[in-house]
Amino acid sequence: MKTLILAALAATTLGGAAIAQEVRLGTEGAYAPWNFMGDDGEVDGFEIELGNELCERAGLSCTWVVNEWDTIIPNLVAGNYDAIIAGMSITDERMQTIDFSDNYYPPDPSKFAQAAGADINYDDLSGIRIGVQGATIQAAYAEQNFGENNTILSYETADQSVADLSAGNVDVVLADGGYLAPIVDGSGGALEFAGPDVMIGGGVGIGLRKDDDEIEAKFNEAIASMKADGSLNELITEWFDPPNTFPEE
Amino acid sequence: MDFLAPILSDIQTLAVPSLFNIYFAFASIPVGFLFAIGMALGKNSKNPVIAHLSAGYIYAFRGSPLFIQLFMFYSIMLALNLPLWKPLGWSWLVLHPLFLGPLILTLNTTAYSAEIFYGALQAIPRGEVEAARAFGMTRYQQFRTVVWPNMIRLAWPAYTNEVVFLFHATALIYFTLPVIDEQKDLMNKAGELFERDYNVFLHFSVAALYYLTISLVIFFVFGQIYKYLMRHMDSGQPRRLRFKPNYLR
Amino acid sequence: MLEWLTAALGDDVGFWVEYLTNGKHLAFYASFRFTILAGILGAAFGLVFGLGGATLRRSGFAPLRWLGMGYINVVRGVPDVLFFLFFPLAFEQAVEWIIALNACSAEVREAATRWPPCAEANWFLGTTEYLLLASVSLGLVYGAFAANVINGAMNAVPRGQLEAARAYGMSRFQVLWGIQIRQMWVYALPGLSNVWMLLFKATSLLSLLQIADIVLWADRLGAPNFIARVGLVHGDWRWRYYLVLFIFYILVTWLSEKFFKMLMRRAGRGILAEAG
Repeated sequence: MKTLILAALAATTLGGAAIAQEVRLGTEGAYAPWNFMGDDGEVDGFEIELGNELCERAGLSCTWVVNEWDTIIPNLVAGNYDAIIAGMSITDERMQTIDFSDNYYPPDPSKFAQAAGADINYDDLSGIRIGVQGATIQAAYAEQNFGENNTILSYETADQSVADLSAGNVDVVLADGGYLAPIVDGSGGALEFAGPDVMIGGGVGIGLRKDDDEIEAKFNEAIASMKADGSLNELITEWFDPPNTFPEE
Repeated sequence: MDFLAPILSDIQTLAVPSLFNIYFAFASIPVGFLFAIGMALGKNSKNPVIAHLSAGYIYAFRGSPLFIQLFMFYSIMLALNLPLWKPLGWSWLVLHPLFLGPLILTLNTTAYSAEIFYGALQAIPRGEVEAARAFGMTRYQQFRTVVWPNMIRLAWPAYTNEVVFLFHATALIYFTLPVIDEQKDLMNKAGELFERDYNVFLHFSVAALYYLTISLVIFFVFGQIYKYLMRHMDSGQPRRLRFKPNYLR
Repeated sequence: MLEWLTAALGDDVGFWVEYLTNGKHLAFYASFRFTILAGILGAAFGLVFGLGGATLRRSGFAPLRWLGMGYINVVRGVPDVLFFLFFPLAFEQAVEWIIALNACSAEVREAATRWPPCAEANWFLGTTEYLLLASVSLGLVYGAFAANVINGAMNAVPRGQLEAARAYGMSRFQVLWGIQIRQMWVYALPGLSNVWMLLFKATSLLSLLQIADIVLWADRLGAPNFIARVGLVHGDWRWRYYLVLFIFYILVTWLSEKFFKMLMRRAGRGILAEAG
């Protein structure tokens, strides 16, 4: 892991002058273990290591930009960074505005987390307060499927929705399984998974502007090479428990 | 008339969201007004404990940004949810933005208005109060017949400004509190429209138009009230009242 | 590094000292510079726009006067947060539009469905650019308030002084800048001090412009964490961090008050007694 970061740093400093193309990567920094602010005050997480490795393989010189989630797509389009690596699921709706690279994380079921022992009928949700992060696939899904009979609270960050769940202000949180699993694990039995898994989204990919075909091709190539040599699955296994790896080819 | 169509459509879209801003202002102004008078009298009190507490309250809330107050009170109320609001069965109300928003606005406007009323109290002509006392009036009678009418007339122009600023401050609520279902205010909706087509000039201008118009209505209504308050004064005469505080908020 | 402290105060204190000085907290402390810088730069811009606005407002040429009045009243009639968000976005788009006139071909501009019309016209905005734009934004908003204060203060300068200057043969412009603006400070200071406090409180909005400021760090540090690998596992601590910010702003207000009191004492020497 250390060597990966060092290598990426070297690429940033050495290659910056002439050879490597400058690319800014936008992330949120509030979505552990995908991306978060590490104890050293820098962005850290699965996607940070992945992004640095991808940039190295693609011969790009990358820097990270932290951006709030709710404006992360507009600011990509406005050109404040060149790529979104922020646990963003590939959806048709987002594809109308931006392009995605091939997925670097396989489709992952979304899950409901609730306070342990809460009595909620998931076959027919009604009168329930559902917390989601705004502008996510889960927010859209909850709005569509449960919006009529339930109250949907949308938060700026996923962490805020979990804070409100822990504090009992919402009954359930609907979010990516890979995000919720360590939280439920680490809650000391206060939170639990319940109800059915929900399959939404086509995996997680890098968000790119529609006309940046060159960068897209480079990232796709790098992702393919990481899939082929197994290093992507390794990285997923390192950061996620249970790991949601790509099937071996 | 082609260019008018998007403007009209925006005016239509933002009509309902503007009601949320109006509601926030309406829900906090009357209560804040009453509290502020109490707080101003408190700061003016001869009892040093009451005077210091009131002055401290006013200082803290005028000395810090509403933006921070909103964040802070939401997270404090949330932390109190499990130990307090849940057992009382109040959490549906206490944590609802439509309640908590006006509550924090009230705390905020109480401080600003109290400072205005306190300034006006200081500016009341000594002679009138002494005359009332010499007349053998009780403290309550003095307040009703001399202090109150003087204070309200002196403070009214500055208080009008405060009400307009309070209305503007409602724009901050949904930047800080969770959004429930489709309950969105002007800023929120304008931001959403902007994220669709990046037309910052159109959407933000129409939102600004709403704020401007409603501000003008407030100025007009409060101006009429001022005329009523000053009906005994000869309009040809220069104003005897002189209290003109410089604080704008 | 902190062993001696731990030895002196016990493990508990040592742990907290270490926690509060980890990189994440240092980044939080360092981010206060954005707030302070935006405040100071914003005040400088605000003073410039305030003087400009007041000068326009007092212009003998009607259209300029209307422009000044329009600026003062429209900006004050709109929430600061709206203008604060609007101006940087609008400025960015305007700059990109100008670049696009040269950088993108006419056909591309006509056919464009996205903004900016071609990639070459894109203007990158990083923290530095946003901080500058935010400061100008704050300056524009509170410049309108300052213009109003300055305009009022100019009216308070005794007529006699201006007439004396005119009698000496000074031009209108010379009277304005040489006499009136020099003399008005003492009357404007109380109002300007108030505008400064408003402006500084508005620096709490920086995170809305993608600046990793104190509010963003307070949220990130206070958010509950359940994963040991990410850092200390703790519940929702946000209110503690917001409380720190709450106190920080009150402290700045207190310091500003002291500063302006001193300034007023100095500026008022020999003038206020007469004006009183």
